[in-house]
Amino acid sequence: MGYGRSDSYRVATTQDKDDRSPKKKKGGTKDMDDLKKEVPITEHKMSIEEVCRKFQTDIVQGLTNAKAAEFLIRDGPNALTPPPTTPEWVKFCRQLFGGFSVLLWIGAILCFLAYAIQAATEDDPAGDNLYLGIVLTAVVIITGCFSYFQEAKSSKIMESFKNMVPQQALVIREGEKVQINAEEVVAGDMIEVKGGDRIPADIRVVSAHGCKVDNSSLTGESEPQSRSPDCTHDNPLETRNVAFFSTNCVEGTARGIVICTGDRTVMGRIATLTSGLETGKTPIAKEIEHFIHIITGVAVFLGITFFILAIVLGYTWLEAVIFLIGIIVANVPEGLLATVTVCLTLTAKRMAKKNCLVKNLEAVETLGSTSTICSDKTGTLTQNRMTVAHMWFDNQIHEADTTEDQSGASFDKSSVTWLSLARIAGLCNRAQFKAGQDALPILKRDVAGDASESALLKCIELSCGSVRLTRDKNKKVAEIPFNSTNKYQLSVHETEDPNDNRYLLVMKGAPERILDRCSTIMIQGKDQPMDEELKEAFQNAYMELGGLGERVLGFCHMLLPEDQYPKGFAFDTEDVNFQTDNLCFVGLMSMIDPPRAAVPDAVGKCRSAGIKVIMVTGDHPITAKAIAKGVGIISEGNETVEDIAARLNIPVSQVNPRDAKACVIHGTDLKDLSQDQMDDILRNHTEIVFARTSPQQKLIIVEGCQRLGAIVAVTGDGVNDSPALKKADIGVAMGISGSDVSKQAADMILLDDNFASIVTGVEEGRLIFDNLKKSIAYTLTSNIPEITPFLFFIIVNIPLPLGTITILCIDLGTDMVPAISLAYEMAESDIMKRQPRNPFRDKLVNERLISIAYGQIGMIQALGGFFSYFVILAENGFLPSFLVGIRLNWDDRAVNDLEDSYGQQWTYEQRKIVEFTCHTAFFVSIVVVQWADVIICKTRRNSVFQQGMKNKILIFGLFEETALAAFLSYCPGMDVALRMYPLKPTWWFCAFPYSFLIFVYDEVRKLLLRRNPGGWVERETYY
Amino acid sequence: MASTEDKPTNKENTSSWKDSIYNPRTKELMGRTASSWGLILLFYLVFYCFLAGMFALTMWVLLLTLDDYVPKYRDRVPYPGLMIRPNSLDIIFNKSDTLKYEQYVKTLESFLQRYNDTEQEKNKDCIQGEYFEQNNNEEMTKEACRFKRSLLSLCSGLSDTNFGYSEGKPCVLLKMNRIIGLKPRGDPYINCTVKRETPIQMQYFPSEGRIDKMYFPYYGKKAHESYVQPLVAVKLLLTKEDFNKELSVECRVEGSDLRNNDERDKFLGRITFRIKVVE
Repeated sequence: MGYGRSDSYRVATTQDKDDRSPKKKKGGTKDMDDLKKEVPITEHKMSIEEVCRKFQTDIVQGLTNAKAAEFLIRDGPNALTPPPTTPEWVKFCRQLFGGFSVLLWIGAILCFLAYAIQAATEDDPAGDNLYLGIVLTAVVIITGCFSYFQEAKSSKIMESFKNMVPQQALVIREGEKVQINAEEVVAGDMIEVKGGDRIPADIRVVSAHGCKVDNSSLTGESEPQSRSPDCTHDNPLETRNVAFFSTNCVEGTARGIVICTGDRTVMGRIATLTSGLETGKTPIAKEIEHFIHIITGVAVFLGITFFILAIVLGYTWLEAVIFLIGIIVANVPEGLLATVTVCLTLTAKRMAKKNCLVKNLEAVETLGSTSTICSDKTGTLTQNRMTVAHMWFDNQIHEADTTEDQSGASFDKSSVTWLSLARIAGLCNRAQFKAGQDALPILKRDVAGDASESALLKCIELSCGSVRLTRDKNKKVAEIPFNSTNKYQLSVHETEDPNDNRYLLVMKGAPERILDRCSTIMIQGKDQPMDEELKEAFQNAYMELGGLGERVLGFCHMLLPEDQYPKGFAFDTEDVNFQTDNLCFVGLMSMIDPPRAAVPDAVGKCRSAGIKVIMVTGDHPITAKAIAKGVGIISEGNETVEDIAARLNIPVSQVNPRDAKACVIHGTDLKDLSQDQMDDILRNHTEIVFARTSPQQKLIIVEGCQRLGAIVAVTGDGVNDSPALKKADIGVAMGISGSDVSKQAADMILLDDNFASIVTGVEEGRLIFDNLKKSIAYTLTSNIPEITPFLFFIIVNIPLPLGTITILCIDLGTDMVPAISLAYEMAESDIMKRQPRNPFRDKLVNERLISIAYGQIGMIQALGGFFSYFVILAENGFLPSFLVGIRLNWDDRAVNDLEDSYGQQWTYEQRKIVEFTCHTAFFVSIVVVQWADVIICKTRRNSVFQQGMKNKILIFGLFEETALAAFLSYCPGMDVALRMYPLKPTWWFCAFPYSFLIFVYDEVRKLLLRRNPGGWVERETYY
Repeated sequence: MASTEDKPTNKENTSSWKDSIYNPRTKELMGRTASSWGLILLFYLVFYCFLAGMFALTMWVLLLTLDDYVPKYRDRVPYPGLMIRPNSLDIIFNKSDTLKYEQYVKTLESFLQRYNDTEQEKNKDCIQGEYFEQNNNEEMTKEACRFKRSLLSLCSGLSDTNFGYSEGKPCVLLKMNRIIGLKPRGDPYINCTVKRETPIQMQYFPSEGRIDKMYFPYYGKKAHESYVQPLVAVKLLLTKEDFNKELSVECRVEGSDLRNNDERDKFLGRITFRIKVVE
């Protein structure tokens, strides 16, 4: 039998057989297995009486109210259980304790612990650890709130998508038609639907009149499917006598018995499957986890080393523990959490401006890491609107314009044949524009009627002007609507010429059927007898258009002779009393759901960015392949196994599958594949199309790609896509045409339905990944000048060069804006020309970044800081040699006559002011060396001179951090508030040589890096 | 694409925690071969040597700019702090137990060694009540004024080697911090009070706790090698009722422009210490 497809006209070339058994292929091992199985509906195979018996209903009377109420209580309301919404506080906690925050929490807890130890053992504990703990806590909470509100904002936009209008359904209960809320529909209810209605539940059709339903959101088929009471297929999804919940009835009327409601419907099962899927961590979350491991490793290593050293040096256990905690906490980059969050938010905002709405902040980067895109066809790659694509008349194929904005090529409209063809297409057509849309462009207008008739209507309206006028001029006298035995549609009209009393018979239908009824053919406006040559030409054209995946219609007409059919002749359409053969063949018109204009370009860009684009569709292989070729998913010159077989004229089995880069895989074949075969296909073919796939299979394809280590993006708009959308590393749903379920499941929504936005997403994602590296490199560098003072304080007993407060001023103050400004940095090279990053090798933070930041630049920075420290102490009387070992007396409050190198004596407070001045100077020095650091972090490979200083935010950041440092140092009252003291102007310049050294050193490094690609410098220092 | 996909499976096969430390197949220690380790360590050695050189250079330049005699900035020590000897802010002892107060006596004794008459004979006998300024002479080394230990009379430890500790009337020496170039105006003297209602009798040496101007200014350790700070001794004449009680004594420098009421610095021109004599 056919293939559940609209049977009004046959696509000539679809020869595939399609019988999916309701049993299922191998599935995962999860408890979702049951849901992954195909639908267990059997009612379509039962007779109507059996169905009635099963649901204790009556075909005329419907359910009794009592029964309905009973069933309602038994089955619950006919509505999808909303996916378990996470309570707001859980979401908040997730922000508060997820990922990076954990590190800061541990830091904070360690701080409180250290303070507790100090408080318990010392009389007058230093408050530093307490303050640090409080600040860390505050940072986590504030950043948590920030990202929580950020995401809440996105979900608010999501809320607005929800369709709040309660649905109505027309049911027959106790013999009366009543309009009830769709939620109250129960299994066994008799339901009536008409064109324009949404089907309220899964129904077994009992009777139908020209009923067609749009299943595209469920199966991905772009054409409306007709519904009738007969069981046409074993598979409930394919059979014609079942209509599904939440699909739309496009035209006609139908009556049916409700067989499933709510979550038990096909749609409900998919929705439940979707919401039950576990999704993995986003790539960036994994990267941050890896980063935390590295940082923790470094922190613990340093901490333990110095703990042992402290014990060796004779400190007490408790002191050593305090040091240990201090060192570990000092490694925590306090400001980085906020920086990362802000950077991601900025990118999310930027993407939202380009119509990509990101639901989850971390998903911002995911598209950048994506290596495979599995795209749905209908509505995503295509416009989801049948459009006339080609015409064949005058023995020539003409191309029609299928672009959204009518920018495409035009064809010769002067031919008389074309005018005849247009007249037939306009007259033998029941579709019409809905009223009140005259102001809209033709393509945007809503049409009542069949999809292909609408396509014809629009095509004719566009090229020949008002169809209604033509119809008014040619009054319809009789009409035989389409039926599946005739496979044609005809109507008889009066002619335009009032003097001509002949009738015009116009007919359209399946091309081969139409041809059978024709004896002549119109060429250049003249009737010619149909000879073998022309028949051959017709066949070729028909095959060619069919091969493009287009639905082809044949058109013919006939001016009925006046002597046989005088004016007023009573045409009987039931018992045909007029000539319906020996007609004049006029031409073919073929229709397709054309690709969106921007898609081929976007696919090309994805491909050059090293991303594999796979088409996964519920539609037929021929159509899928045609569209795949049209948009470049199967690129020009690439052949499938079948193509090679056809070209070489050998059986498919003899072709080496390795020769074919492209392949089209049918859903029925897919379910027979083992996991290894599946992996083999995914690995060895670069251009893959999966056709006739069920939602469950889409999910399996995504899982297959992920198993091979790919980071998978799925784009889709239908309900059938939603499990795959959820499972994907990033699901991208369509904002306008997308179903609610798909939007719920997705991480990102393209508000303008433009596939090209994905390219933007990839670009932004890659850029933010690069820039986050830079931000992190910048932020981590200052960790070394922050930790080393404490280490030297412990080891050589010098007065503390840098205090906790000043460290916080750097991490949460001066470093913030420059670090964030790096998110605005432009790409160094064309990021869309390189391969996607390898999640196993290209880490956000790797040992090379740590080596550069900690081992090299950080060390130079630390020296700069220490130099200013020594300058200040020396100029105030404490020479460097004098400082070693001075710590115990220095920090003793009772020693108020500490002698310096010049014999002067200092009280505790006096020398502490000098010490805090040193802290301030050390702090200022870090700011100075961070100037150079932010400039070198702008690029990872290029010279700054190549990159330029075009980043205005960064320049602002430079001034901002300097101004902030000056403010903290010179603002009156800072000595009391933060214990920071004014510096003498010369002290600002102490770190200048080191700042300069950083710049020169890194420029040289990058020069070597560029000179010797793949060389030692690159292997050891390119992060 | 394919190459990236192969990776995870390879990884699973080969990686174990042992291999991450030492991989015998590739001879990698912690993910690096010996030559790789050698190269990176050599790089860091050279790099850090260079940095050390750079740091040494900048430090050398710094030291060149410094003066041997006077620090570049003295604005952080505008006023002197006040300290006591014995070097403790809590003086507690049993007047009849020699062992308990011996440490205080010893500190005082050793502190006063520099004030021995034999030492001080070498110093100049300056004019009282006048600054001893020596700006005119070319020579960097300066002369110091004489402060003989005997000026402290009862508290000099000469007549009473126990500084009054054995009789429960302990001596405390007060000294102002040395600050280069400090010239207090007015006539500074030390005044001590006990924080309670009934005052305690105290004796000051030199009389009235005076600090003579001739000991100012100070020219720094290198120039003013033989300089000794002027001292003021306070003998607390405790009576029987004062024993076994903790007394809080506050001493201030008064009669001059030297600050003694700084809010934050409790030792600037003043000092508070506690004393408790057990019978």
